[in-house]
Amino acid sequence: MKAFEYATAHSTDSARQLVADKGAYIAGGNDLLGLLKEYLVEANILVNIKSLPGMNKIEHARSHWTIGALVTVAQIENDADIKKHFPGLREAAADVASQQIRNVATVGGNLAQHSRCWYFRHRDTQCLKKNGDLCFARNGENRYHSLFTGNTCISPVVSSLATIFAALDATAIVLREGKEIRLSMAEFYQRAWENPLSHNSLGQGDLIVRVEIPTARPRSAFMQVSDKHAFDWALVSCAAAAEVVDGKLKSPRVALGSISNVPHQVETANQFLDGKVLDDATATHAADLILKDAKPLEHNGYKVPMAHALIRRTLLKLKGDA
Amino acid sequence: MKNSEPENIGAHSRRTFFKSLGTVAATAATSQVRTIGAELEKINSEKIIGPGPVPVTLTVNGEKLKLMIEPRVTLLDALRNYSSLTGAKEGCDRATCGACTVLLGDTPIYSCQKLAIEAQGIEITTVEGLAKDKRLSKVQLAFIEKDALQCGYCTPGFVMSVTALLKKNFHPTADDVKHACAGNLCRCGCHPHILQAALKAAGVEHAAKTEVITYA
Ligand SMILES: Cc1cc2nc3c(=O)[nH]c(=O)nc-3n(C[C@H](O)[C@H](O)[C@H](O)COP(=O)(O)OP(=O)(O)OC[C@H]3O[C@@H](n4cnc5c(N)ncnc54)[C@H](O)[C@@H]3O)c2cc1C
Ligand code: SF4
Ligand code: FES
Ligand code: FES
Repeated sequence: MKAFEYATAHSTDSARQLVADKGAYIAGGNDLLGLLKEYLVEANILVNIKSLPGMNKIEHARSHWTIGALVTVAQIENDADIKKHFPGLREAAADVASQQIRNVATVGGNLAQHSRCWYFRHRDTQCLKKNGDLCFARNGENRYHSLFTGNTCISPVVSSLATIFAALDATAIVLREGKEIRLSMAEFYQRAWENPLSHNSLGQGDLIVRVEIPTARPRSAFMQVSDKHAFDWALVSCAAAAEVVDGKLKSPRVALGSISNVPHQVETANQFLDGKVLDDATATHAADLILKDAKPLEHNGYKVPMAHALIRRTLLKLKGDA
Repeated sequence: MKNSEPENIGAHSRRTFFKSLGTVAATAATSQVRTIGAELEKINSEKIIGPGPVPVTLTVNGEKLKLMIEPRVTLLDALRNYSSLTGAKEGCDRATCGACTVLLGDTPIYSCQKLAIEAQGIEITTVEGLAKDKRLSKVQLAFIEKDALQCGYCTPGFVMSVTALLKKNFHPTADDVKHACAGNLCRCGCHPHILQAALKAAGVEHAAKTEVITYA
């Protein structure tokens, strides 16, 4: 790690001023310190945002809940109300890494965590994402990579919270140049879809302040498959959320992680599921629609049947006891 | 984000106001003494420090450690290389093995992925702090009794994770132990015995049927 200056911000204004053009915000530090140790990110100053007021709370309103960007993944995992009202969010949080990480990892940092592509993470390779001219994964070792991409980079978004937030139709509220902007999960990662240099749509100095989750989908579920049973990013993750009225799905949404550079969502599948009674045939057809345009590479073809099974299982979990 | 403090004092922003006023004048100033005191406190704590060594005080195992270290020094480095607390081990230095696990308050964290400067003001417990009056803790004793180690490199980390679990869950199941220890890896493959040791320390060893390899 190169040496850096350090400061603790107590207001969002001073956080922005302190971070300026070449600094980085530090929340839990799990991802950032790893990037700094490998010289993948250079920052002349780390601005500690953990003392920003009001950002570490989970708040309830009738139409939506608010989760501050500094809320830790462990806070979500252990919140009895979250478990009751957003069971899928609780499942996703409990599956993130290990308790040592969940205890410090924040919602903002989890969403903004950088690519896990091993070419990107290797300090000696200079791929497209690091301003080089080649994606090494395309014709190289790509077993952890995407089935969908909008550009040449096939490094997927791996944030578990992004997957479940997408299914819950949550919005990230980001402070950009003093103004709040509202980004759906699709918008939050849109720039990664378009541009290999980006891993999300945040610009320098943009600060995630909170995430708002509508309460419209009381049923939700999250599942992931990893190489290791625990303490590992997902090979594929899937989240589904809906309301169930008279046994029929209302406003269903399905999202997948680790297979695209955005949380993978297919509107025609959501529309198909709307008003349906969940059974094997419906879940299978939805999975077909969601994976229709998948473009597997040499080593990641296994992700297609894996995702297919995961979509079916996650959807059927929504049935619960009713 | 709503900020309860006034953002502007007159035509100036808070920052330029205090910069132009200077500390001495500000303390003496005016009718807004209370707000100004609070503002000053904030601005001072927003001071930029480093990149060179800065004073950092850690409270480790009940004792104060006063160090002069750069902001980039991790807690693990501060413990091992700037004091002589080598109990927490460095395995990966990337939050992927658990050998460096220590407690911040009652919470287990990876000391390799935490800046020392951010671990001030809260009690840190390392494996060295568990024995009281030269008596090992019940978790440590259980690790010995159940032969839960070979080379021992991962052991301090596992002991801290199990210690943290038993502080909040007095009757853990085998699954609870596995969930709590998922972030600790043992290269020597002692996981079954570590599981036994954790249950033994909790006094539930006979209650749970564990997946221990037995040689009948
Ligand atoms: C072995 C292992 C397994 C893992 N498995 C999973 C997994 O299964 N699922 C998963 O989701 N994650 C997983 N992780 C990743 C981990 O969850 C993230 O590293 C962590 O959530 C990052 O949060 P943080 O608060 O520590 O972020 P930091 O490291 O503090 O920040 C990360 C990035 O976000 C920026 N940032 C932080 N907060 C804000 C904000 N409020 N506004 C704008 N920018 C901000 C920082 O500048 C930095 O660039 C795993 C990690 C490891 C090491
Ligand atoms: S997938 Fe993206 S990050 Fe990985 S080598 Fe290709 S361009 Fe680089
Ligand atoms: S040394 Fe910290 S987790 Fe491996
Ligand atoms: S005893 Fe050797 S690594 Fe666990």
